[in-house]
Amino acid sequence: MSTIHLQQLVKRFGPFTALKTMDLTIADGEFVALLGPSGCGKSTTMNMIAGMERPSEGRILFDGRDMAGVPMGRRGVGFVFQNYAIFTHLTVGQNLAYGLRATRRPVDEVNRRVSAMADLLQLTTMLDRPSAGLSVNILQRVAIGRSAVMEPSIFLLDEPLSNVDAAFRTVMRTELKALQRQFRQTMVYVTHDQLEAMTMADRIAVMDHGVLQQVGTPLEIYNDPDNLFVARFIGSPGMNLLQGQPVETATGLALDLGPLGQTPPLSAPQVAALRQAKADVVYGFRPELVALVPEGQGMAMPITFVERIGARTILHLGQGSASAKVVLENDAGLQTGQILHFAPLAHAVRLFEAASGIALKGA
Amino acid sequence: MTRALAFEVLRYLILVTAIAVALVPILWMASMAFKPIPEWQATGAALTWIPKAPTLDNFRYIFGTNSNELIATLDRTAVKPILASFLAAGLGTVIAMTAGTSAAYGLSRFGSGSNLPLALVQLRLFPPMAVMTPVMIMWAFLNFTDTWWGLALVYGIVTLPFAFWLMKTFFDDMPKEIEEAALVEGCSRARVFWRITLPMMRAPLASAALFVFILNWSDYLIALLLTTREWVTIPVYMASLSSSMTGQLYGAKAALGLIAAVPPVVLGVLIQKHLVRGLTFGALKQ
Repeated sequence: MSTIHLQQLVKRFGPFTALKTMDLTIADGEFVALLGPSGCGKSTTMNMIAGMERPSEGRILFDGRDMAGVPMGRRGVGFVFQNYAIFTHLTVGQNLAYGLRATRRPVDEVNRRVSAMADLLQLTTMLDRPSAGLSVNILQRVAIGRSAVMEPSIFLLDEPLSNVDAAFRTVMRTELKALQRQFRQTMVYVTHDQLEAMTMADRIAVMDHGVLQQVGTPLEIYNDPDNLFVARFIGSPGMNLLQGQPVETATGLALDLGPLGQTPPLSAPQVAALRQAKADVVYGFRPELVALVPEGQGMAMPITFVERIGARTILHLGQGSASAKVVLENDAGLQTGQILHFAPLAHAVRLFEAASGIALKGA
Repeated sequence: MTRALAFEVLRYLILVTAIAVALVPILWMASMAFKPIPEWQATGAALTWIPKAPTLDNFRYIFGTNSNELIATLDRTAVKPILASFLAAGLGTVIAMTAGTSAAYGLSRFGSGSNLPLALVQLRLFPPMAVMTPVMIMWAFLNFTDTWWGLALVYGIVTLPFAFWLMKTFFDDMPKEIEEAALVEGCSRARVFWRITLPMMRAPLASAALFVFILNWSDYLIALLLTTREWVTIPVYMASLSSSMTGQLYGAKAALGLIAAVPPVVLGVLIQKHLVRGLTFGALKQ
């Protein structure tokens, strides 16, 4: 049973601020992913939760208890590192048993828990093998097992899958999620891979430049990004973002995108938000949520590149400084140089204030 | 084709010369150790490459079990100098490795800046001879002269920076995540050091200890200055192997040299696996 509260958390390294005033509450048994590009402060946040680093300001509470001054060995957290941190002078079995032995559990309990964990992670046949020289996939399994066998109420994973190969990553995503369901730990998972965050996390905390950008379920983050950074960062490819000026048309208020044409009319809540904001706006829509329309309607952009990725075709569009991407089915018979006439689906349109980058969310 | 052949010939010529420069003195010493007196005498009348009449007389002579009418009986045998060398070099290595490893670990994990580590290494640049006069006076005052422990203490101090620097680079290369993983599972710092760090450092520890031991084992000058009679070491004893009749006792020196070469070679072979492997944290990909 462990909730984690981060209150007004700040971390500075000399003159550099790695984390700017972060507030986050992680519920008991929740799987939260800290997602962001390299250097966004996600690992720093994690290290402070684990107790490896001291916050410059603010507090970390586990179940309401302030963790300041509690050494990492007493916090009851499990930690899995990106680079495994396996004790190479010990066998796989000794690695798994390490924490239990260090805390002086009875021998039969150690054996029971180690063999149960080895079963779960399919390591039973390797227990007596020396851990030096095993494949990276196995090593990361051992590292996860070594932490999980302690049954920590808080499980922290720092990019555990970024060194393992792609096929194994898919397997481990499912296994980690199953592991968390079984033990019901509170799990914090640092990653720069949105696919990992999307598939495993109950909620995702998106971070950039030491600032928490948005917290929400994977769908909330994907559908309703709070700002331009999240819009661009989430999704592959990210959201299309085009500069526009409001213009009155016969069918209602729309945006004039310059040479790209006019957008379809905006929805009533968006019109209201737009009138209130009275600033330059950015027009956003997901590349997947686009309909092809006859010439003369919607927006028109030339195709600059056709990227076929098997399941789908990604069209790169560009005109002047404006660029966009559209995702269509894999057999879309379109070629570079053609003009694509398209319009975003009405429910897919998002507006952002150009200057601040903040989403204009209709009432 | 001819040019390639000429190149190959030249290449091998250079290789053979280089190997000869390194090996001939050692082989010469090995051969000399088994020669009877006429074959190594300074007059060089019957100089041979390979002993014509191989004998163990040289070994018997330095261990005092054989005296030759040509050379006077030694006033002492090689047994005690060999013991002295083992004790002084061995304890010196223990001192340097213990202090060096602790200092290296502390500075590698908790130190800040590079001034202190650099200052320690600069001690190595400083020739030990420069401070030997004060050390001799201090050691005389403490009654440490001509004792194996007094010599071992100086050896430990002199080789400490070397041990420190070797171990520091090894500790710096060891990822801190490995220790943090153990810490987060509830281990104390001390337990992490003894149970995780040191065992994982077996290979570097062994190679550093060997280097330090060889440095101590082959010292001549410090032993010459700090020991006089009771606890002279092998190199000092070797220098005393001469007689008024024949001058330098080359055969006896060669025999002693051969014995002196044994410990470093044996240790080197024993830890060869570690020396070759050096530092491989197979489990880690940075």
